[in-house]
Amino acid sequence: MCSGSAFRAIRLLLTGILLACVLAPELVLGQHSAVDLDGKQVNPFDAASGKIVVLVFLRRDCPVSSRYAPIIQQLSALREHDASFWLVFPDKDETPQTIHKYLQEFAYRLPALRDPEHALVKLAQVQITPEVAVFNRNHQLIYDGRIDNWYQDLGRSRPVPTTHELDEAIQAAVGGTTPAKNQVRGVGCYISDLE
Amino acid sequence: MKSWPRTLAWSLALVTGAGAAGTLFANSSLLSTSQSTTLQPRTLGSPVTFNRDIAPIIFRSCSTCHHPGEAAPFPLLTYSDVKKHARQIADVTQARTMPPWLPEPQELKFADELRLPDAQIDLIWRWVAQGAVEGDPADLPPLPKFVPGWRLGTPDLILTAQKPFILPAQGTDTYWNFIFRIPIDQTRWVKAIDIHPGDKRYVHHANILVDRSASSRQREAEPGAGFGGMEIQIESQVFDPDSHLLFWKPGTVPYLEPDGMALRLDKGTDLILNTHMQPSGKPDVIQPSIGLYFTPQPATKLPMLLQLEDDVKLDIPPGQKDFLVTDEFTLPVDVDLLAIYPHAHYLGKDIQASATVPDGTTKTLIHIPLWNLNWQAVYRYSEPVFLPKGTTVALRYVYDNSEDNPLNPNYPPVRVRAGNRSSDEMCHLWLQVLPIHFDAAGGDPRRLLQEALARHNVEKNPADFEAHYNLAAMLQARSQVNDALREYELALRLRPGDAAANNAMGSALLASGEPDKAVAYLSQALRTRPDYFDAHYNLGNALASQDDFAGATDQFRLALRLHPDDADAEANLGSALAEMGRFSEAKTHFERALQINPAHALARENLQELQRATNK
Repeated sequence: MCSGSAFRAIRLLLTGILLACVLAPELVLGQHSAVDLDGKQVNPFDAASGKIVVLVFLRRDCPVSSRYAPIIQQLSALREHDASFWLVFPDKDETPQTIHKYLQEFAYRLPALRDPEHALVKLAQVQITPEVAVFNRNHQLIYDGRIDNWYQDLGRSRPVPTTHELDEAIQAAVGGTTPAKNQVRGVGCYISDLE
Repeated sequence: MKSWPRTLAWSLALVTGAGAAGTLFANSSLLSTSQSTTLQPRTLGSPVTFNRDIAPIIFRSCSTCHHPGEAAPFPLLTYSDVKKHARQIADVTQARTMPPWLPEPQELKFADELRLPDAQIDLIWRWVAQGAVEGDPADLPPLPKFVPGWRLGTPDLILTAQKPFILPAQGTDTYWNFIFRIPIDQTRWVKAIDIHPGDKRYVHHANILVDRSASSRQREAEPGAGFGGMEIQIESQVFDPDSHLLFWKPGTVPYLEPDGMALRLDKGTDLILNTHMQPSGKPDVIQPSIGLYFTPQPATKLPMLLQLEDDVKLDIPPGQKDFLVTDEFTLPVDVDLLAIYPHAHYLGKDIQASATVPDGTTKTLIHIPLWNLNWQAVYRYSEPVFLPKGTTVALRYVYDNSEDNPLNPNYPPVRVRAGNRSSDEMCHLWLQVLPIHFDAAGGDPRRLLQEALARHNVEKNPADFEAHYNLAAMLQARSQVNDALREYELALRLRPGDAAANNAMGSALLASGEPDKAVAYLSQALRTRPDYFDAHYNLGNALASQDDFAGATDQFRLALRLHPDDADAEANLGSALAEMGRFSEAKTHFERALQINPAHALARENLQELQRATNK
């Protein structure tokens, strides 16, 4: 019942039931877990210490991803007591050096992971950079998709976003509930183009 | 001694809207497809490969910007580059977000059109749907050659902004103006300008405005610092209509003016680079350069920018999705239309312009069904478009001030009127036209165009200060002083303290032999703007005309403090001193005037007169 492929299809209908039947992230990560910039395998859930886990998927060559840097950094600082943020780079061609340089340029102070096998991508069910996945304290995925509605499409962005899906999902996780929407697709660059 | 040199030119300033003057300034949406809806089922058809089918499209239409050092965020030069963005490319080409080209296809063709044919968009989609196959290496065409740096060779003059602008990591779109002071001692003619706007990845577009009166310098906190602002106004001295659209957007190739056309640069001219930037997520240093290419050939063909607008009608209630603004203008002379530049801000939606010739035939000049300020551009026609006298050119802009417009600067929407801020709106259209018949007897046809336009604007909006002012300036230039005085008066009723209008009124009164009345207006101009060279100079003339030579001397000295190298002011100061019998001092100033301009006839005659008088 709890296979990865069935999860997305029925979750919308049976959220209540599935909450008790959610994938255990460590099962999926298995031998293909993401690696940190020192090449060490890392399971972000092991390091969460009971916090909510937020995975932020980025591509260096995706300008929409990059423009979100200050927003991600600010939100992670605001929620640092409740949420453990990880930046995830799904491009297998990225090296620890290129990512290090990028983090410095964009003033990130968050831990970064390489996800060349897309283990976290599959777990988080994201499709685009930048998209995020929010896991509650039980490691259950309660939201995946855009950070907010800043971008309408690749040609047009709002002056400021008017919805804030990531923050709402974090607040829901903190309160032990689920957000009004558990998935809103983002605008940016396809992760599938990296396969 | 020669009598008082009343014939020296007075100064009048022609105030125009930013664009009329200059050009510039400083831009629908493409399909509002959501990102995930584009790969709809279609026929996959015959096999499509990158090397044979896709590379030629990418190299021609994408790689110009998508290579290192250019504006695009990632390169598209190899199979691997393109494969990494394959689905994204299928999406953005289908939505016509890329390549960026806003106008619909039309009968009057534009040069350098970037619009992809439907068949190519379909080919890209099929390639992605078939798995983005690389294909036979033998099919791969050679990469286009890109010229790095200055693309027309080493410029004759390279100028770099004195101080960089630090673009913050975060925030809304930013507009900054860099002033380039042109270090030339004599008039030069510019054939091309290559604009290097700084880091091209973060500069969306840039415009050059020509400031012939150094009026923008007053806006800098310190010299060379530049100044903020999306739309700027430039005062231009005397009748000198702007003529060139000097525009940069990603992918722009420097434009070489056609034979006979060139931009005039005089000593003291500033070029203002108006840039539109978007924060990238990290702080960025933006320090533009421009490269000027001169020609020894002075311009023989004098184009002019016609501005259609109806900003006064811009009063858009919140929530309104289809707010219509129109304007039309009938050409008083035959012209060739060379280029068109529509401009609205973030509420602009459907932008159209048309021309109806005297036989009633109407042609679309441009139609942008989904406006996007971020991709605004100057569009040059592939061939000049002949528009005979009596042609009516018309604009028709539709604005969307509802929440459905994602670019709406206000959430929730509020009432929006015309203005220079990005949260205000604009309804402007510039046409670069070349009057066809220059007839010495009939006068400069650009004057007829400018005057017709000024009359049109006055009729359209009697409360338009600039329209009255410009019409007055045109009338004054034609020596219709009484008509000019009436228009200046109407302008001053609208802005009683305006320095330029008070100065112009004073100069017109001076020309009509009423120096006593002129003094009051010129004094008002100086109360508003104490460092106003023209007003000091004109007030000096007015006082001298009333035989107040001491007062005149003071004014000429104040004027010279502002412009130490002005030969006319030196000559007039000499004359005023001579009138007071201070011959020795007068001589110094006549000589100084001749030092600045050895051909200054009045200074020479007065100096000779002075020598005769003192030798008696």
